[in-house]
Formats: sequence, structure tokens, C-alpha cells
Amino acid sequence: MSDSDDDALRDRIGRLMANGLETKTEPFPETNIEFEQVLVELREFGPDDLEEKMVISGFVDKPYGEDEQRCLECMYYLVHRKWCDLPELAVPVEAEWWCRLWRI
Amino acid sequence: MANILWLQGGACSGNTMSFLNAEEPSACDLVTDFGMNILWQPSLGVELGDNVKTILKNCVSGETKLDIFVFEGSVVNAPNGTGEWNRFCGRPMKEWVRELCDAADFVVALGDCATWGGIPATAPNPSESQGLQFLKRANGGFLGADFTSKAGLPVINIPGCPAHPDWVTQILVAIATGRTGDLALDEFQRPKTFFQSFTQTGCTRNMHFAYKVSTTEFGQRKGCLFYDLGCRGPMTHSPCNRILWNRVSSKTRAGMPCLGCTEPEFPFFDLAPGTVFKTQTVMGVPKDLPTGVDKKGYIKLTGAAKAAMPAWAEQDIFVV
Repeated sequence: MSDSDDDALRDRIGRLMANGLETKTEPFPETNIEFEQVLVELREFGPDDLEEKMVISGFVDKPYGEDEQRCLECMYYLVHRKWCDLPELAVPVEAEWWCRLWRI
Repeated sequence: MANILWLQGGACSGNTMSFLNAEEPSACDLVTDFGMNILWQPSLGVELGDNVKTILKNCVSGETKLDIFVFEGSVVNAPNGTGEWNRFCGRPMKEWVRELCDAADFVVALGDCATWGGIPATAPNPSESQGLQFLKRANGGFLGADFTSKAGLPVINIPGCPAHPDWVTQILVAIATGRTGDLALDEFQRPKTFFQSFTQTGCTRNMHFAYKVSTTEFGQRKGCLFYDLGCRGPMTHSPCNRILWNRVSSKTRAGMPCLGCTEPEFPFFDLAPGTVFKTQTVMGVPKDLPTGVDKKGYIKLTGAAKAAMPAWAEQDIFVV
């Protein structure tokens, strides 16, 4: 995928959230087992099932929670590519977004 | 001349296999260049049956001076404390072990099973296994916390699954050449010269660790294995990235997470499903942080590292 493709997809994801896409931000997977369960759900979707993946993973377009967690600190976030490197997601993102698969 | 006797309890022979791969010095060099006399060893000894028993009896009685007793594998106590599940030369191995430890100038526990109980002692520990002087983290084990060998040292623990051949040969050479005064042991009776630094020390992925870039799937050459794939390199004391395996590589250099096999808790989390090759987290933060780092500091460090991350850190820099 080229940089412009990434930008276009990132814009589309941003628009979906700005337009009020309801996603499952809770429950946060507190343990590894719960985290793995979310991954199992995500693996059922294909690469083009973008909205479904966003819903399951709980995408929001701003920092989340008391600690203002955001993609920027997440270990799956590649800063320069502005990319989520979690294999089950693998989508372009913004540093100020968040999802419940956040880990550091 | 130093007489060495080497026996195996609840063992897979992995440490023997590792020892036989030793180079500089090799197992043969120990005999020809360092004056070691291997009285018997399970893979090297030529005696069988009653002849082995005679060797053991002579060591126990003092007729043969036993300089170094090396024990590999756990001390098996099952069933019901009798040790009958592991018989050797006509009696439970544990009885030989007790008497030989009392007779030896130095006792060396080789590998995780002999040091902490290792995999055989994993819950529910059906073989009632113990290490020679520890059971997992608890001091005591089979010989008791107060045990010292004739030379006045506790059991010298050389953990690992298996132990690197150099760790074994260098300790044997130190003992055989009268340099035990140079041996400093840590709280788990491991020689500090090997077990003071971390597995991470010298890891080729350290730059990715510093900038918090994760390896997310096996086979990736970019990223650090600690964040997602359960690597225990930052919390494990071993020289695996200083004294390389086969002189060329290590687990983490080859893309395999460190399993923490030189630490008393190995295998971690009792091998519960989902705990191997997966970093355990609580609310998104690793349950086990790098040694000496607290949660607050870790979170702050993550923010700073990500903010400073150079572009190359996200890429595979090991171009073939």
C-alpha cells in the first residue's frame, strides 16, 4: 500500500468515527486471555471488513480514559508510518486515536 | 588431578548434550589439559552395573577422593518421599545424592532441574522433584538451606535449560585449578561472572527495545521480542548474548524470545495455556517489567521513547 493509499484509508477511518460510528470501547481486555478473545473475533473478518474491525476493537478518535491513553504510546503504533502494526488490524491510524487493544 | 563424578536424576540429558558440545576447552581438553579425571558420567562412563556401584561406594567411603560432584536433573522424591521412582545402582538415587554431596569437596548443580527443580517440579509436581538446594525460589531444596560441601561452599548452581557449555567448563576449571576464591555467588548461588548481567545485555534488538518498537509476529527481524512475544531478556540473568551459543548466536538474535530459563521460576506461569510466547499484561501494561523499572517510570519512558523514535527503528535494519 502506498503512502497516499494509507492517507486515504486513514481519512476514511477518521470520517467513520467523526460521523458517529459506535464501537465497543468496553470492556477493556484486562488480561491476556481477554485480549486474545478480542483477537479471535477480529480474525474472523477479512482485510476489507474495516467497520466491523473498528467496532470490535473499539476505535475512538481521541485519547481515552483517565490516563488519556492514545495510539502514540501503544507498542503497536509505528510513529513515522502512522500505522497500527497489530497483525489483526494493520491499518493506518492517527497518534491521538485509541482502541481497546492498546498495550505498552 | 581433580576427580569428578557426574550423575543424573530427573533429567533429559540436555545438560550432558550441551557439555559435550563444549569448545575451548572441550570435554577432552578438561582431561588432557586441566587434569580432570572423570570417574563416571552417564554418557561417557564405560563401567556398567556393579562396577558403577563400586565407584559410587568408593566415593562415599572416601577410598576415592571426590573433588567435584556434578548433579544434573531434579532430585525425585516420589512416591511419598521414598524416591523409588528414580532408582540407580540398587537404591533410590536421592540416597546416593545425599551421601555423595556429603563426601564431595564441591557440589555443582547443573541445569534448572538440579538447581531449582525445573520442569519436573512444575505444578502439580507429580515426581515430588526438588533442586539440590532450592525448590523454585525457596532456599532449602533437597539438601537444606544450611548445607555446605567439604570445601565450605554451598551448592554451586549453574542453571539453564540447558546450561551453556562454557558456564560448566569454566566453573569446573576454576575448581580444578584451585581458583574457587575467585567464585562470587549471587543470592541464588549462581556464579556472578555469568549471572550478574541480563540476557538482554548484548542483544542485537536493544535499539528496538529502547524505542519501543515491537516484533509482532515470529520471523520479523525488526522490533523487540519483549513487548508482545513474551521475551524475558530484560528480567533474566544470563550471559546468552555475551557468551554466544555455538559461538555464533543466541535465542533473541535468532528471533526466539528468551524463556527466562536461568531463573528459579522457569517454566514461568507453570506453562498455563496462553502464557508461552505471549507477554502477560494487566490493563495493557506488562505484568513483569524490566528489572528495576516501576510501572510509572515504564509508562513515562514509553511516551518519551515513542516521541523520539527515529524512522529506521520501524524498519528491518538487518539487510542481507
